Amino acid sequence: MASQNNYDAIVIGGGHNGLVAAAYLARAGKKVLVLERRHLVGGSTVTEEIYPGFKYSVLSYVVSLLRPEIIRELDLAAHGLELLPLESTVTPLPNGDYLARWADHDQTRRELYRHSPKDAEAYDEFGTLMYHLAFAIKPILAMVPPDPTSLNPGDLRSLVKLGNHFRGLGEEKLYSLIKLMTMSSADYLDEWFETEALKATMSASGVIGTFLGPRSPGTAYVLLHHYMGEIDGAFRAWGFAKGGTGGVSEAIASAARRFGAEIRTESTVARVIVENGRAAGVVLENGDDIRASVVVSGVDPKRTFLDLIEPGELPGEFVHAIRRFRIRGSSGKVNLALDELPELACLPGRGPHLRGAISISPSIEYLERAYDDAKYGGFSRHPFMDIIIPSMIDPDMAPPGKHVMSIFVQYAPYELDGGWNDARREEFGDAVIDTLSEYMPNLKDIILHRQVLTPWDMEREFGLTEGNIFHGELSLHQLFFMRPAAPWSDYRTPVRDFYQCGSGTHPGGGISGASGRLAARTMLEDM
Amino acid sequence: MSQRYDAIIIGAGHNGLTTAARLAKTGMRVLALERRETIGGALVTEEIHPGFKVDAACHQAGALHPGVISDLEQALGVAPEIVRCDPAVFAPQIDGRHLLLWRDPAATAESIAALSRSDAENAKPFVELATKAAGLLEAAYDQTPPDLLSVGASDLWSLVRLGGRARRLGKRDMMEVGRLLTMTVTELLDEWFENDLLKGTLGATGISGMFQGPMAAGTAYMLLHNRVGMDSGALRSTYRVHGGIGVLSRALGDLAQSCGAEIRTSAPVVRVTIRNGRATGVVLENGDEITADRVISNADPRHTFLSLVDPVELTPRFVRQVRNIKYRGACAKVNLALDTLPSFTSGEAAHLGGVVSISPSLAYLERAYDDAKYGDISQEPYLEAVIPSISDPSLAPHGKHVMSILVQYAPYHLKRGAWDQSTKDQLAEHAIKTLAQYAPNLEQIILERQVLSPRDLETDFGLTEGNIYHGEMTLDQLFFMRPVPGWARYRTPIENLYLCGAGTHPGGGVTGRPGYNAAREILKDVKRR
Repeated sequence: MASQNNYDAIVIGGGHNGLVAAAYLARAGKKVLVLERRHLVGGSTVTEEIYPGFKYSVLSYVVSLLRPEIIRELDLAAHGLELLPLESTVTPLPNGDYLARWADHDQTRRELYRHSPKDAEAYDEFGTLMYHLAFAIKPILAMVPPDPTSLNPGDLRSLVKLGNHFRGLGEEKLYSLIKLMTMSSADYLDEWFETEALKATMSASGVIGTFLGPRSPGTAYVLLHHYMGEIDGAFRAWGFAKGGTGGVSEAIASAARRFGAEIRTESTVARVIVENGRAAGVVLENGDDIRASVVVSGVDPKRTFLDLIEPGELPGEFVHAIRRFRIRGSSGKVNLALDELPELACLPGRGPHLRGAISISPSIEYLERAYDDAKYGGFSRHPFMDIIIPSMIDPDMAPPGKHVMSIFVQYAPYELDGGWNDARREEFGDAVIDTLSEYMPNLKDIILHRQVLTPWDMEREFGLTEGNIFHGELSLHQLFFMRPAAPWSDYRTPVRDFYQCGSGTHPGGGISGASGRLAARTMLEDM
Repeated sequence: MSQRYDAIIIGAGHNGLTTAARLAKTGMRVLALERRETIGGALVTEEIHPGFKVDAACHQAGALHPGVISDLEQALGVAPEIVRCDPAVFAPQIDGRHLLLWRDPAATAESIAALSRSDAENAKPFVELATKAAGLLEAAYDQTPPDLLSVGASDLWSLVRLGGRARRLGKRDMMEVGRLLTMTVTELLDEWFENDLLKGTLGATGISGMFQGPMAAGTAYMLLHNRVGMDSGALRSTYRVHGGIGVLSRALGDLAQSCGAEIRTSAPVVRVTIRNGRATGVVLENGDEITADRVISNADPRHTFLSLVDPVELTPRFVRQVRNIKYRGACAKVNLALDTLPSFTSGEAAHLGGVVSISPSLAYLERAYDDAKYGDISQEPYLEAVIPSISDPSLAPHGKHVMSILVQYAPYHLKRGAWDQSTKDQLAEHAIKTLAQYAPNLEQIILERQVLSPRDLETDFGLTEGNIYHGEMTLDQLFFMRPVPGWARYRTPIENLYLCGAGTHPGGGVTGRPGYNAAREILKDVKRR
């Protein structure tokens, strides 16, 4: 049996974290095989031509959290990664006005001043504080969580280091950080601002991907999580990958291949082979069995531990912890092929605002009511939407003169009352288009094709359990050393030689690659 | 008038009286000044109709700090009688079924089993876990929160002791308890139980007095907070003071006086006098100035710093922190004088001695919150009603009863209109109509009703924004963050000015803990000089 040990490592799932882990393992000289269920790599980070000539960033659509050290260490630029900045956010308002934030600081200041001089003043101070806080959090994102209950010197050292790091922040930053970790984004922003649309649009980034409203405690942290955007070392920048988000996966895959990793698509792993308590390889759905010294899973914790491993191989307590891991999906995605450019009623014409994000988040109450619908099992009739028109930034995404539009929609509960089906999916799509048409009057006339993805579709097509884009909610009790379950947050699992590297591990969701990188480091230590 | 004291306490609420007694016991000259005619703050029993006495604001006793109980016993020979209600809770459901939570776990399990067998089985391990968590909280509640930035030797020692205590729980339970602290009460209860009525009735203790629904993170913590020091084997406990909660306030007043403290009622303080950055006394509404070596405020932090202290004495940053403390009162009181006992469509009269809880499901509670979130009174509110005259006939004329109802949610900040007679009537009608769905004769037997809106709670009892906890008990306002980060050790930026009320660690409830802890810190400073 041992002679069939073909690979040093098998990576289950060719999502961006799996690819990052594979690249780092291969870079260290290991013989690596990545197995991807779909016909292309990338997981949720893919570009697909769903309608002829139009390329959709099907699920994930912006890049900001990708760790600069990964870009550097894997030399992703050489593999075709090109990040284009996203320069503005415009929030159209029901009264026909709008609130905009631009790349140009003075322009943003003038615009905020128009709404509230007080907010214009506070905005800079707030931005500085967030910058420092995000900076303070950075080292934590790049560390393997210690076990706080352990007396082992390594863990203790890590804990003391962590304690000193926090104390070194000084009073104001330390307490602000604690408040961010515990408050709702609405309450947190209420302490700073008065303009409803500003608070709502900022809060919106605090609720993206969570099943919480802006008034739910815990959402302020997600606000910070999104503030940590960093492109090529430029902090707080949001961007868009040339060729769509699939461009990111392609670049990482190319780097992994260059280091010698082998990537197989349309290879569905059915289960992990465990022998004498150690992972020894995987069995594919077609019955093939492939052996390796170690196996690492990039799929979410539920799939990893409840589907791919025989339950008998895991301690009952651990299985219980994974079962209750919260992973409720809350969002949907609508991708449109457009015959021409849509026009915003509040800002007519082909302005620079169409090269940025358009946020449908006029007030905290609007977002909170959207959440209320979902809380009781419906999708939002007037949802929060985060919209970009990728073809304005990268013309190759659509035929000349035509456009693609990416609409992130919240809330759409996985557990829809009566369940999701084709009819309900279209109803959901209609609610999105109807709401958006209030702000873009020409929208309905220019749609050539529409793709609607519900959490149910995300689960079926992309393997995201319950359609959760973060592989598990980013609530306080599911972060750091609790992610996905204490004390298995160091990328190891109760099965020897079996590891996890997906977003269900610290530091969580977003196209950051941090989980993949840290997992590879842990594996290389053990190997 | 030449009056000089070692310490002046502003407000004779139960925490102020606790501090007064502890300080006076060491021989200090202590004066407690109360704005109202009666002492006790929110713990008062009032006659709302001839012969009908009701606990106007707070209508449940909590678990008093054991030190306060022993002080009472030593000084008075006997502490006020705490009635441990049995059943603790009667929760009716619209279909005529009901849930009874008894002091005896076996009896409770029997009642739950009629709704769900598996829930009946899970009750015991749930109580065990919750009790462990509450035990750990209790240990933390006895301590002054450490200053995170400059942990002194004594802090370090108490932290190590606390850590040791946590470690004794064992690795698994320690992680489990840590997890609970940040969860929502809905998540917590969904992990353990399936029956809606049971989950609603347990979840209610996670939102009581909070401007949060059961789907808000931190509400699981609140459930645990409400268990600290209570019956360890029961799912819920209801304590009441025999004779009304005012008896407890009077006993604490007697205790303080027997230790040598002086108490003056109808003596509102309008200002703390400050010289060279030190508190030197207070000025009363009538213009009298009384000097003291130190001033201790039992009023809530916002009232203390923004009304009683001249803002020039504080840094703008501190003032901003105080302004940002969240109060947002969430509940109102409806107190009724009743001609006879209300008859519920299910259960027996003997079941009504504890809390009558209208909490059919967590979704019901969340919907009640939804209304308030947008500034409206709950159409179908969460209700916590007590009928103390059942076990204590002295509270009402023979055969008649008093009922006190905590009504939630009643937002302090109404979106439409203000808290006037008509909105108060509307609130009372929602509450009575809701309760009448379970006790149909209710509307016919009301002799008198008293409604206290959040604004009344503010005006009558000095509770800012009507918040019964002197500041929300949310995760960002607890422990070393209470009342504001950096000032959680009962001291304030003004030398010789202290806080001792529920706005400080460990927060609200009838426990005397903030007052007890504050006295300990003040005495440390006294000794140092």
